[in-house]
Amino acid sequence: MAGLVLAIAIILAALFGPLLWRVSPIAINHALLGDPQPPSLVHPLGTDMLGRDELSRALYGARISLLIGFTAMIIAITFGTVYGAISGAAGGWLDSVMMRTVDAMLSFPSFFLIITVEALTNSFELGMMILIIGLLSWMGVARLVRAEVMSLRERDFIEAARAIGAGPTRILLRHLIPNALAPVVVAATLAIGDNILIAAGLSFLGLGVQVPTPSWGGMLQDALSPAVQNSPWLIVTPGILIVLTLLAFSLLGEGLRVALDQSIVQVGVAGVDVEPVANAATA
Amino acid sequence: MIAYAARRILGSIPLLLVITIISYALMGLSPGGPAAILGQSARGMTPIQREHLIALLGLNRPWYVQYFYWLQNLVLHGSLGYSYVDSRPVIAKILGKLPVTLELIGLSTLLTLAIAIPTGVYAAVKRGRAFDEIVTTLAFVAYGMPVFWLGILLIDVFAVHLRWFPLSGISSLGQSHNLLDRLDHLVLPVVTLSTVSFASWMRYQRSATIEVLGAPFVRTAHAKGLTNWTVIVKHTLRNALLPTITLLGLSLPSLIGGAYFIEYVFSLPGMGYLGVTSVFARDYPTVMGITLISAVLVVAGNLLADIAYAAVDPRIRYD
Repeated sequence: MAGLVLAIAIILAALFGPLLWRVSPIAINHALLGDPQPPSLVHPLGTDMLGRDELSRALYGARISLLIGFTAMIIAITFGTVYGAISGAAGGWLDSVMMRTVDAMLSFPSFFLIITVEALTNSFELGMMILIIGLLSWMGVARLVRAEVMSLRERDFIEAARAIGAGPTRILLRHLIPNALAPVVVAATLAIGDNILIAAGLSFLGLGVQVPTPSWGGMLQDALSPAVQNSPWLIVTPGILIVLTLLAFSLLGEGLRVALDQSIVQVGVAGVDVEPVANAATA
Repeated sequence: MIAYAARRILGSIPLLLVITIISYALMGLSPGGPAAILGQSARGMTPIQREHLIALLGLNRPWYVQYFYWLQNLVLHGSLGYSYVDSRPVIAKILGKLPVTLELIGLSTLLTLAIAIPTGVYAAVKRGRAFDEIVTTLAFVAYGMPVFWLGILLIDVFAVHLRWFPLSGISSLGQSHNLLDRLDHLVLPVVTLSTVSFASWMRYQRSATIEVLGAPFVRTAHAKGLTNWTVIVKHTLRNALLPTITLLGLSLPSLIGGAYFIEYVFSLPGMGYLGVTSVFARDYPTVMGITLISAVLVVAGNLLADIAYAAVDPRIRYD
């Protein structure tokens, strides 16, 4: 419940915050250049090294974070679901080859892989970043869906569908996948948070959202500049935002898991079983 | 058991092959390809010199041909090639950095286990009570904490303001063989890595313990009058450790990823620091080498976890 409230609050802040707090996140205030201001009434979260308003940057950063979190999640979930369903439904050698590939992709620090791909492709566009995050984080979902499909495959209603003449594609799309979606919903929720964490890490390394577009990771990177050494608010704000967002989505995921009656003991650790990529960024 | 280990090691070879092929393909297929990489390190070259260098490094061949030569070099000569940056053998470069990463991961795993296992067990025993609620909340917060942010905070508080620990690096000037000095430099990085991994371990241990606490043999143990302590330590904990050991293997990729970040923030000269700087320098062979070594670490970690599994649970046989 707390997770839901927090998640909604963050989403609302990202959607409407910039409309209410109409200060430009990128306008440089020359009077304050090189002299970051602590939080005040004019700038509730202070200003950064270039005199830019931190609150405004935080709100626009929330938009970017959520945009990345959701879209990369959709890519990963779609791909992972289809992949896992095909693998589970096909069985045999195709299944082993497909799962071996998943094992391989799970076996190396995907965060390092993402950095490598980002840097080598030399492409820092938002769309590219979302695509890369999405395409490198579907493996957990694929495993989940495969396991579900394999147990569903043997059930009577599938047999019944086959008996009345449904083809393999129809069985996959209309019967297997819809029934395997419960754990996917939980994984999707957790993935949003994980993606946000990865994106923040990339932006922190200068490989993500590029300046001057505000992002939480970028704000943290700016806060490391020697020019702003005595400005703790610059370090604290983006970090707390990331922690709160992650907290919101992991609590929400945990809540959904209980609500959807997933076996709590078996898989029941938020974010643990579902491939902790983000915490590769961070754990 | 040796036969089992040997079989597992052989079985992991295809896995490593797939990993390296994927990495090579990703790098080779990236827009511009590896040849574009030279744009950076070869500034100031004439077009002819550039062409010559590309041909010399074999970058004009398709990626799978390059991969084949890379693999051949590795298998026949045990070589991972030479760095584009300083022409040193990649293996020597990586081996020089590996100890720091292993120390960081090893020490922080020990610290995490030492705290997370008792906490998880106690939280399970006191399920639903204040202690459990507080620890669970803390775990969720720690889970969402970006490792680089925590690192920066700790540096700011304990190194910059309180001056209890050094700012960065692995040793003080002229103290490179002083063990205490090295440990002193590792305190903050280890604490950072442990904090973020604590959450998963604690939650895992907690749910495993809860499951075991519901087992009939625990009720039997209570019924025959054993003390709470004996039931928990002798009967529950030993059984509840099993899933946690699996996590030891599973969490390695994320531990290594986290270690890379921490090394970057704390300027520790480890594999992750080398990795990030090599990526920025487009040092293709070094990046490839680090990917392979990371994968080997993960595969080895999984193997060790499986062996440890059997050591704790005599019911498990190698066959």
